[in-house]
Amino acid sequence: MSRPASAWNLPRPYGARSLAVLLAVLVIGFFAGQRVEMGRMLSLTGEGVLAAVGLREQSQVLSGLGTIARSLFPPQISERTETARIEDFDRNRLPWFSHLETVEVREPKLNPQTLQMEEVVDTRELLVEPLGYLWHVAVKMLETFEIAIWATLLAIVLSVPLAWFSARNYTPNRAAYGLARGIVGMFRAVPELVSALFLVLAYGFGPIAGVLALALHSAGFLGKFYAEDIETADDKPQEALRAIGANKLKVMRFAVLPQVMPQFIAYTLYVLDRNVRMATVVGLVGAGGIGQELKGRYDMYNYAHVGTILIAIFLTVLVLDRLAARLRSRYA
Amino acid sequence: MLKFESVAMRYADGTQALGGVSLQVPAGQFCVVLGSSGAGKSTLLRMANGLVKPTQGTVQVEGVRIAADSLSRIRPRIGMIHQQFNLVLRSTVAQNVLAGALPAMPTWRALLGLFSDVARRKACKLVESVGLQEQHLLRRVSELSGGQQQRVGIARAFMLDPPLVLADEPVASLDPRTSHDVLALLRTQARERGTTVLCSLHQIDLACEFADRIVALRHGEVVFDGAPGAFDPKVFESIYGRAPAAAAPGRPAVHGIEPEAVLPLHTGVLELAP
Repeated sequence: MSRPASAWNLPRPYGARSLAVLLAVLVIGFFAGQRVEMGRMLSLTGEGVLAAVGLREQSQVLSGLGTIARSLFPPQISERTETARIEDFDRNRLPWFSHLETVEVREPKLNPQTLQMEEVVDTRELLVEPLGYLWHVAVKMLETFEIAIWATLLAIVLSVPLAWFSARNYTPNRAAYGLARGIVGMFRAVPELVSALFLVLAYGFGPIAGVLALALHSAGFLGKFYAEDIETADDKPQEALRAIGANKLKVMRFAVLPQVMPQFIAYTLYVLDRNVRMATVVGLVGAGGIGQELKGRYDMYNYAHVGTILIAIFLTVLVLDRLAARLRSRYA
Repeated sequence: MLKFESVAMRYADGTQALGGVSLQVPAGQFCVVLGSSGAGKSTLLRMANGLVKPTQGTVQVEGVRIAADSLSRIRPRIGMIHQQFNLVLRSTVAQNVLAGALPAMPTWRALLGLFSDVARRKACKLVESVGLQEQHLLRRVSELSGGQQQRVGIARAFMLDPPLVLADEPVASLDPRTSHDVLALLRTQARERGTTVLCSLHQIDLACEFADRIVALRHGEVVFDGAPGAFDPKVFESIYGRAPAAAAPGRPAVHGIEPEAVLPLHTGVLELAP
C-alpha cells in the first residue's frame, strides 16, 4: 500500500556519510601533505612574499629566482663563430647580414724556450651573425613543431583501429577487445619521456625517437577517448542502418562518425597542442627538436642561450593555444 | 509476402512478449497493428527483419526464412521507419536519405562517401516526393521539425525500393495533424510502388482511415484481424481491456498518448468506417 505524500522520504543531498568522507579526505590530505613538505612550501613562499614587499631581509626563494633571472637575461640573439673553426669558410660569400670581426685575445702561455709564462696576443677572426642564434632557435622550434605534427598524424592512424577494437559495440570478440584495451592502457601508462629514453637507444639521437615516443602515447590517449565516444554515441541511427543490412564499417561511417566528429576534432586538437609542448620536453633526452638544444646549452652553462630558448617555447605555446582555441570553436 | 508462423517471444527476464502468433501479409497490403504498450507490436515488427529473434516459430519474407545466414540478403529488401525517426541529427537531410542506399554499395565506396549518380538522383527525387524542397537537402536534420524529420525517415526507407516496409509507431511522437499527413504520405508512397507495409499504431482513427487490414494484439495474442469496417467498440474493449470512453462532443482526439491514459477515440471515428 502506498504511503501518503506527507510520509515520503526525499533524501537530503548531504548526510553523515558526506561528513565522514570529508573528514577522511582532510586526514589523508594532512598526512600526505607532510610527506611532500607542503608546510615548508608554505613557509618558504611566505618568506618570499614578505621579502618582496620589503618586510624581510632576504629569502631563499627570491634569491634563487633572482640568480636564474640574472643568468638567463639578456637572452642570446647573435651567433659568433671563429672562422678558423668553420669548414670551407669562404670570406667572399658570407651569410646574409653577417660581418667579420677581429678580436685580440691575450692569453698567458708557456714559452718552451724560457719556460716562463708569457702573455701572448692572439688575433682571432670571428664571423658575427647578428640574428644568428635567434634563427637557429627558430629552426629548432620548427623542427619541434614538425615532430609534434607527425606524432599526431601517426597517433591518429594508430588509434583508429585501436578505437574500433576497444569499443565494446564494434569489437569482433572479447579477445580483440581485451587486447586492444591492453595496448591502449599500456601506451597511456608509459610517459613520453620514458619511451623516448628507450627509443633513443633504438633509433639513435634525433627526431625519429621523439616522433615515435609522442605518437605512441597520444595513440593510447586518442584510442581510449575515441572508443568511449563510439560506445556512447546514440544507438538509434545505428539501429536504423543495421536494420536495412548495412555492415559495421558502413554503420560506423554514416551513423557514428557524424555524431562523434566534433568530439574527435576537439581531442585531436588537444593532443596536437599537448604534443607541441611535450616535443620540447622529449628533446631533453636527445629525441630532437628544441629540447635537445636546450639540454645542450644548459649543460654548457650557456644560460643566455637557454633564456632565448625558453622565450621561444613560451611564445610558441601561447600562439598555438590561441590557434587551437580558434580551430576548436570553429569545428567542434 | 510476409509470413509469421506461430512466432513466440519470451525475454530473458521471463516476460512473454508474443505467444504463438501466426500472420500472413499479402503483397501490397497496408497492414496496421494495434495494441496497447507491451502488447507485442514492436516485437512482432522487429522479428520481420531479424532485429528480434523469435524464441519459437519462424518468419518468412518473400519465401525466405529469416535466419542468421539470410539476414544480410533479406534486410536490404526491408525498409524501416522508426518512432524516434532514428536519423543522424548532425548530418544533412541528403546524407541521411543516401544512407538508405548503403547496403547496396561496396564498402570502400561507402567509407569514402562516394554514392553513385543513380543513388544521388534517387535521393533528390525521394526528398521531393516526401514534400521537402531542394533547400532542405543540405540542412542538418536537427534543424527540421518532427514531421519533416519523419518525412526524411520515409525517404530513407524507400531508397532501395524495398518490397516490404516496417513502420514502428511512425507517428507516435508527432501531433495529430502531422501524424495524419505523414501517414497519408507513407500510404501514398507505398501505393505507388506496390510496397507491403506493416505498421504499428496507437491511433485507432488513423488506423481505420489508412489500413487495408487491422491486426490487434493483446498480451501477445491476436485478438482481432479484419478490415477497418469490422472494427467496433467490442473490438476496442478486447484490445484495451475497457470500453471506449464516451467522448465529450467536440473534444479533440488526443494522439500519441497511451489509450489507458486518455482514450483517443473521438465521436464519429467508428462511423467513419464504411
